[in-house]
Amino acid sequence: MTIGLNAYITLSVILFALGFLGVLLRKNTLVIYMCLELMLVASTLALVAFSRFNSLLDGNVFVFFILTVAAAEVAVGLAIIVALFRRRQTVQVDELNALRD
Amino acid sequence: MAPLSLALLVLLAPLASAAVIALLLRRRGGLASVVSVTAALVVAGAGLALVLGGDRFMASMPWLQVGGFTLTVGFQFDDLAALMLAIVGIAGLAVHVFSLGYMHDDGARARYFGGLSVFMFSMLGIVLADNLLMIFVFWELVGFSSYLLINHYHEKASAADAAKKAFIVNRVGDFGFLLGILWCQASLGTVNLTEIAAAVGGGQVVSAGIPLLLFCGALGKSAQMPLHVWLPDAMEGPTPVSALIHAATMVAAGIYMLCRIEPLFAAAPAALDVVLWVGTVTALYAALCAIVQNDIKKVLAYSTLSQLGYMVAAFGLGALRMRHGDGAAAHEIVLAAGAGTAMFHLTTHAFFKALLFLGSGAVIHACHHEQDILRMGGLRRLPVTFATFTLGVLAIIGTPGLAGFFSKDAILYLALANSPIVFGVLALTAVLTSFYMVRMWKLVFFGAPRSESASHAHEGGLSMALPLIVLAVLAIIAGYGGVYGKLAGSFADLLPHAHGSDHITVLVTSIAVLAIGAGAAWAFYPAAGEDALAKRVPGAYAGLQLLNGSFDAAYSFYVAKVQQRFAMLLNFLEQIVLAGLIIRGVAGVVGLVGIGVRALHVGSLHVYVYWFLLGAALLWALVTGVF
Repeated sequence: MTIGLNAYITLSVILFALGFLGVLLRKNTLVIYMCLELMLVASTLALVAFSRFNSLLDGNVFVFFILTVAAAEVAVGLAIIVALFRRRQTVQVDELNALRD
Repeated sequence: MAPLSLALLVLLAPLASAAVIALLLRRRGGLASVVSVTAALVVAGAGLALVLGGDRFMASMPWLQVGGFTLTVGFQFDDLAALMLAIVGIAGLAVHVFSLGYMHDDGARARYFGGLSVFMFSMLGIVLADNLLMIFVFWELVGFSSYLLINHYHEKASAADAAKKAFIVNRVGDFGFLLGILWCQASLGTVNLTEIAAAVGGGQVVSAGIPLLLFCGALGKSAQMPLHVWLPDAMEGPTPVSALIHAATMVAAGIYMLCRIEPLFAAAPAALDVVLWVGTVTALYAALCAIVQNDIKKVLAYSTLSQLGYMVAAFGLGALRMRHGDGAAAHEIVLAAGAGTAMFHLTTHAFFKALLFLGSGAVIHACHHEQDILRMGGLRRLPVTFATFTLGVLAIIGTPGLAGFFSKDAILYLALANSPIVFGVLALTAVLTSFYMVRMWKLVFFGAPRSESASHAHEGGLSMALPLIVLAVLAIIAGYGGVYGKLAGSFADLLPHAHGSDHITVLVTSIAVLAIGAGAAWAFYPAAGEDALAKRVPGAYAGLQLLNGSFDAAYSFYVAKVQQRFAMLLNFLEQIVLAGLIIRGVAGVVGLVGIGVRALHVGSLHVYVYWFLLGAALLWALVTGVF
């Protein structure tokens, strides 16, 4: 049995939706952050699948870019979350509301 | 010394004096007066050396360069400038010396003499300037020094008001003057006096608006109707200032400026008619007002107005056409007689009116600052003052043989030749002139002293007597060709000379008006502490008073009722529309938007994600064309 493009796309959509719902519903910043990463990975999966089925390298190139940027982003983002925790003793989103009106 | 450096010395000596006084000598009144009088001596000495030396020259240098337009400063020292320089130098020196005595006990002597020096500098700038813009700059400077000196007794509210009035009224005229200069530059491409004359002589068409707008400047400075209102009030200043600025020189600057731009008027005869009638009406109006004045200086101020009107009218009479020879050899000569007679009368008037003002200063000084002629009387006891003042009165009313006689006759002859109606009005004015002058003379010097201060009157010192004597001599001789011809050079050739029956007519008129006016005043007014006209013909007296105050009343009505209301309306609109609707309105809308947007800012990350989602959905909908 061969696995078609649709299967990859479906998997990618499911992953993306999981990530997005996680961002929407979870309260822990760290978890939200991991969900964001999940959304990025879902998009890279779709890109790799397109690249494979179109026999082009464009998608793969995008993936490398995304992975590089994601790595840098994680370094900065995690550092911010650690710094945040040191300062506020919490990473719960509903308690981080100092900017509200 | 070369003529140019002499001219520079004349111009800059008073400036140096003013600078030294302003910077170093503000608390040293005695020293300041010495410095200022020295500067006046230098001006008079160097000025007369220039005038009598016979050198006439022009010199200029560029001052400002903007694109293709170059503004120059320079001297145009021709016969006209020489004549004016002589007047300013002599009258200036006389007034400076007189001030030594008159202002001796004044607390602010340094400021006074500094002001005189600033005035001399500015006036000489007008005299020597070779272009209209330079004249304008110095024109404003004389306005400033006039303001400074009228305001000398600034702790008196009336003096402060008078100074402001003089400044503001002059500003109205100067606005027209400036517009005229701009128009002249736009239409002729130059503001240089020589180049203007050349352009007009070359047949360039000149709009009558240019000379008329330039005349507005003279209207303010020479106090012609309807801008004459400041001059009587300006008498709040010290009397020597009135003599120098408000009789002999500054108010004459308007006439001088008109003579400088005479070619423009020659090219636009319509403008000349306006000038003629303004001058004639001013002469008559001011003479009527002078009859009901009781302040000795106010009488002289209205007399100055009237005489300035005479000069302006003389200028407005314009050129004289004469036929010479007979038969085939006859040819017509056009003589710029208007400017010639105006300057002639300006010269004689400068001397005898400065004399009269300084004489009134001596009287006021003698009477311990009493200025009301009804409270004087019996001042014949002051020999020098009486003799010189009498000469001044005789000169202004045109007694044969004195300076005023010749210049007034020249004007009357020109009027007879060019406009019989003006001749009639001017002759009537001459009757009134001798009437009010003799009235004042009799009330001041004859009868018994009518007040404590008049009975204790005493003669001032030498510094006050000397200028009076010098000016009295000039008031006698300035009308003779030997003196005037020396001062005015070729400009004296512009005087018309009456021949034949015209000569008789003018002479008879002149003597008749003198006799009628002087005789009527002498007979009508007793030397008493009451105005005879007010007692015997109260209706005429009240009418003249009403006429006298009419302009001030009209102006205060205009300012208080029309202009002020209009300003209040504009202020109201500004408050409602600009400040209320536009400024507050814009701020209000922005504030409302702020309040609304702030409500969205709830501080929950998840709400922002929903907003983001909504935004993304909206964008998607827009792109795919759902909306």
